[in-house]
Amino acid sequence: MSAETAGPETLGHLSDEPKGEDPGTKGRTITGKSPMRIAMGRLLRDKIALVCMAVVLFFVLIAVFAGPLQKLFGVSTETVLPSQFLNLDLTPKAEYGPPYGPLTMEHPFGIAPRTATDNLAFWLEGAQNSLQIAAIATVLAMLLGVTLGLLGGFLGGAVDRFLTFVTDFFLTLPFILAALTIAPIINERFRDSPNYATVQVVALIGVLAGFGWMSVARLIRGEVLSLREREFVQAARVMGMPTGRLLIKELLPNLVAPIVVASSLMLPAFVSAEAGLAFLGIGVTTRPSWGQTLNQGISFFETYPLYLYQPLIGIVLLVLALNLLGDALRDALDPKTRR
Amino acid sequence: MRRTKPLAALAVASLLALAACGSGDGPGEGTEGSFGETDAGKDKDPNAEGPAPEVEGAESGGTITVFLPGDYGPDDLDPTNGWSVTGNSIQQALTSRSLTQYRVDSDGNATLVPDLAVDLGQPNDDYTQWTFQLRDNASWEDGSPITAEEVAFGIARSMDSTAFPGGPGTEYSTQFFAGADEFEGPYTDKDTDWTEWEGVEFDNDANTVTINMSKSFPDMDYWGAFMAIGPAPLGKASNPPAYGQNIMSNGPYKVESFKAQDELVLVKNDQWDPESDPARHQYADKFIFKFNADPDQTDQIMLSDNTESQTAISNDLSASSYQKALDTLGDRLVQQSAQCTGFLYPDYEKTDMAFRKAIAYGYPYEDVWAATGQVPGVTRVQANSIMPPGMAGKPDYFVDGEAFSYDPEKAKELLAESEVEPLYSAIYYEPDPLAVAGAKVAQKGLEEAGFTVKYTPVQESPYSTWTNPDDKLNKSLTVRGVNWCSDWPSGSTFIPSLFRGGATYNTGGFQEDEIDEMIADVPSLPIEEQADAWGDIDEKIMTEFFPAIPVNYYNNLFTFGSKIGNPSGDEALGAPNYKNVFVMQ
Amino acid sequence: MFAYIVKRLLAGIVVMLLVSLSIFLLFWYGPSEPARAICDTKTSQRCTPAKLEVFTEELGYNNAWYTEFPEYVGGIFTGRDITIASQTTRCDAPCLGLSYKNGKPVWDEMKGRLPATFSVAIGGAFLYLLLGVPLGVAAARRRGTVADKSLVSSFLVLSSVPYYLFALLTFLYFSVLFEAPFIGNPGYVPFTESPSGWVGGLALAWICLGIFGCTQYTRYSRGAMVEALSEDYVRTAKAKGLPQREVVYKHALRAALVPVVTIFGIDFGTLLAGTIFTEKIFDIDGIGLWALLAVGQKDLPIVQATALFAAVALILSNLLVDLLYSVLDPRVRLS
Repeated sequence: MSAETAGPETLGHLSDEPKGEDPGTKGRTITGKSPMRIAMGRLLRDKIALVCMAVVLFFVLIAVFAGPLQKLFGVSTETVLPSQFLNLDLTPKAEYGPPYGPLTMEHPFGIAPRTATDNLAFWLEGAQNSLQIAAIATVLAMLLGVTLGLLGGFLGGAVDRFLTFVTDFFLTLPFILAALTIAPIINERFRDSPNYATVQVVALIGVLAGFGWMSVARLIRGEVLSLREREFVQAARVMGMPTGRLLIKELLPNLVAPIVVASSLMLPAFVSAEAGLAFLGIGVTTRPSWGQTLNQGISFFETYPLYLYQPLIGIVLLVLALNLLGDALRDALDPKTRR
Repeated sequence: MRRTKPLAALAVASLLALAACGSGDGPGEGTEGSFGETDAGKDKDPNAEGPAPEVEGAESGGTITVFLPGDYGPDDLDPTNGWSVTGNSIQQALTSRSLTQYRVDSDGNATLVPDLAVDLGQPNDDYTQWTFQLRDNASWEDGSPITAEEVAFGIARSMDSTAFPGGPGTEYSTQFFAGADEFEGPYTDKDTDWTEWEGVEFDNDANTVTINMSKSFPDMDYWGAFMAIGPAPLGKASNPPAYGQNIMSNGPYKVESFKAQDELVLVKNDQWDPESDPARHQYADKFIFKFNADPDQTDQIMLSDNTESQTAISNDLSASSYQKALDTLGDRLVQQSAQCTGFLYPDYEKTDMAFRKAIAYGYPYEDVWAATGQVPGVTRVQANSIMPPGMAGKPDYFVDGEAFSYDPEKAKELLAESEVEPLYSAIYYEPDPLAVAGAKVAQKGLEEAGFTVKYTPVQESPYSTWTNPDDKLNKSLTVRGVNWCSDWPSGSTFIPSLFRGGATYNTGGFQEDEIDEMIADVPSLPIEEQADAWGDIDEKIMTEFFPAIPVNYYNNLFTFGSKIGNPSGDEALGAPNYKNVFVMQ
Repeated sequence: MFAYIVKRLLAGIVVMLLVSLSIFLLFWYGPSEPARAICDTKTSQRCTPAKLEVFTEELGYNNAWYTEFPEYVGGIFTGRDITIASQTTRCDAPCLGLSYKNGKPVWDEMKGRLPATFSVAIGGAFLYLLLGVPLGVAAARRRGTVADKSLVSSFLVLSSVPYYLFALLTFLYFSVLFEAPFIGNPGYVPFTESPSGWVGGLALAWICLGIFGCTQYTRYSRGAMVEALSEDYVRTAKAKGLPQREVVYKHALRAALVPVVTIFGIDFGTLLAGTIFTEKIFDIDGIGLWALLAVGQKDLPIVQATALFAAVALILSNLLVDLLYSVLDPRVRLS
């Protein structure tokens, strides 16, 4: 139970340590002068990385300006009374766009089958929610993972053994099953709350972060184990620096590179996981979500494929760009890799 | 892959089928608004005799595959436990006989005819005792004759609410049969031998079974059409739960294999004597029922007309395939009313009539149907009365002179008249994305009609909230709901369950002494007046009190392969008519 | 060595207990009415509060978890009698409880579903290796060429796509839109019933898993091979004039396989633990789909059993891998 898995069924690389390009040549962080600047330089020379950065930036802008963009196109996610817009098979009538008519200015992406809501608005807000949830979950998982990794690696002994056990335990819990069980329970508890929509999002973020921190904790623990034997740490210890300060002042700065790399790979894993859970039928119901649209779209795959492709392309593009960017970042931060 | 049925498939289905079976004269292949007028006397034929009239052009042989998309089917086949449309429609047509049954003729009219009994039973004057003379030539699949004792034992089993908590006997046997206080059924009541129970008497030599009632029960002949009121092998052979996985058949087919939630294979039972059965046939060699089939895949197979689909039947069609099916299948697409009504049931104490009528005008019917994946006017039809089409005595009236339709302006006017706060507080079943979409659309429509809407998500069947009087959330609701189906075409299986004060599924808490008395009086009326009496109560409740908004009736869509003969529905059960289908060679 | 195995197994058992306990507690303190699911099924959806109370009592939800949980654990070893709807059923060891849905022993059904999951796992894992290792070796031998680069980058792209979308698209295109030749309707048919049906029904799932999963094997075996080819002993072998083929396959590959074997063991464990997406999308009635359905139906004993099964598969595969690792690579010492 000590090794992590990387099979396809693990929702992206959620429980997966960032992979070494070549095991054996797995690099450690550079400790030379301003490694960040060197990395930046490498990154800017990497064409794939630049393209990915542009794509990610595009989605980030969409996420940030989802509201104004909707106004710009004159669309909204507002519920409509659908029957007047639909054919007998519940696809949109030809005058409102695909599949039977051309796209219109009023609904640049068409309207949804069954509910007749605007697709563009849902797509924009879907991007927003997807990125928002993934970003917050990443921050939380990093905080948790880094803290536990630092503590375990540095303190060693019983604390380390305990934390390792907890990490292993969480890795053994089947993530999807646990998420599917926990989410409805939380929703049930807070169903009367006026902030139900927020609670739902928080619950999802909690589930993602709660099952995503382990790989970070292991990674950081490993790094700390090697760092703590180094002279500068030994010296600080001898000088009597308090543990807390030592961790934050001496160790943490040396962990920036692995943390950046891990975060950049965790983000796409969470985007993918969020959509995957929604696809399985849980997740956020009070806000638009790509995974949900995907789930709805499958029944209309033949009559209205465009409806299915919109969220699909969104997820694939974003996850792909983020993943490739993460890989590029790791290569850039690792002096040993050649591309 | 289960595509349109996510995790919630089962729970969604449960919202539909509260009560399950039965009904007699249907509305014809129900196009919108064709409400069949029924005459209770007409659809019974006590003199029908075996063999059943041949279906025109019928041929023998072949295998029929039945797809049941998104339908898990029964978990066991024990006749005593059977109270679902799917299970009962299959078993009552093919494997498990009872005292009476329905015969569906080529015009689609269902008639109550004898089954194991030679007639529809002989009641005494006040319907407190019914005697059934059994026929001599009926037998089990092993060839042994069905005895009066076995029938009586089957009836005694239906008293066991503990061993069969889901059986229809929990509703009818324990309510109407004599001695329900002393006898809890053969498995739970270990102190009493079932033969000592006063509710049923049998005479093996005369081949008769007599059932004693605790109160007047004029509908015993209908109740006898449930497979629960049929024979069971004596002794340990039929002990639950083992028997439910391995039943002894006595119909034209017997069970070859059964895997719950997966597959049921039926093959010809050569011990079944056509002379003994006035309604069943034995045309196909084999039936294969595929439970929980993939909805989209099934639609595709049925529309493709490939070899697999030519001899197949599907008991459901997704809305997204409806147009295509309409264009390509012709009369092999059968629209069958399901004899159910869906209601919005406002809290009777908290609301007044103007508020309730405002909902009737402020609820966007067609939009909610579309959002929940139903074809407006096809699989959901606007309701106008409590009882659905096909029920004996269903009245034809409109509370406000014409059908309710979405009219926000009118709703606002009514709300202004109402003396209660315009708060529409209800729940929706969140795990089902379609239910979520439906709630959003309903909220939109109601808000435009001037309501303040508060929808609370629940993670379990809404009935678990609605039927729990102590639930805090339930107490806060102003509008609940209930979907109800008839067990047989008499108002007695519909109105008391929903509109008698204190009834479990009276979710709005409607209570008027006047109505309670009228309901209590019906069974004592002459039998030929009862149907109209139910109709009068229906109309009186709605026009004078309007406690609930009848939202819709349900229709099912069945598709039949091009080599299936006699594609038609069974109006008695709201299912494909398995008794009369055959394979065209 | 022996002490190490015992230690690991003990730790594994503790983890398994904790996994079951956490699922158990989730249900105990989670849904408002854990007995609701069974009550609804058993009463044909007419579960009244009175009936619900009977089921709650019968299932022991009125007792404290610390009296019920030991009983559950005990049942796994000794079997026990379980009463649902007043019908007492003997549930033989290993008793994982009775399904709320159909009242059958969970273990029996699990046995019935294992072959499907095994089939998926074996086929998928086989393709991992079959596709991944040769590609990786080939790429390593042609390191730096266009072929190598395009393989590496296309696999990088492929493995960056969420797996379930890849599977979904495969399903939609090759099963729904165009019926791929030689491939039947997705679904599991026992091998003993029809070998061709078995292959046909699972082919798409295998291909999906295989193509997607092999990317990392290519990556690992390529990396290991590159390293091995530059090792002294390989250079020596080359210098001795051994044929290129023999050098690559006999000497270098053996060393390169060590990391591949380790991830393979873990991946196989993960596949066994439940291929939820694969089974859902390709409609394969294995453990994963079962778990998914059970969660939806709030069928605690099944959720419990599938979680436990997943834990066992992961723990054992990890242990095996560690042992194997020590055998394959003498530098690794277990302690």
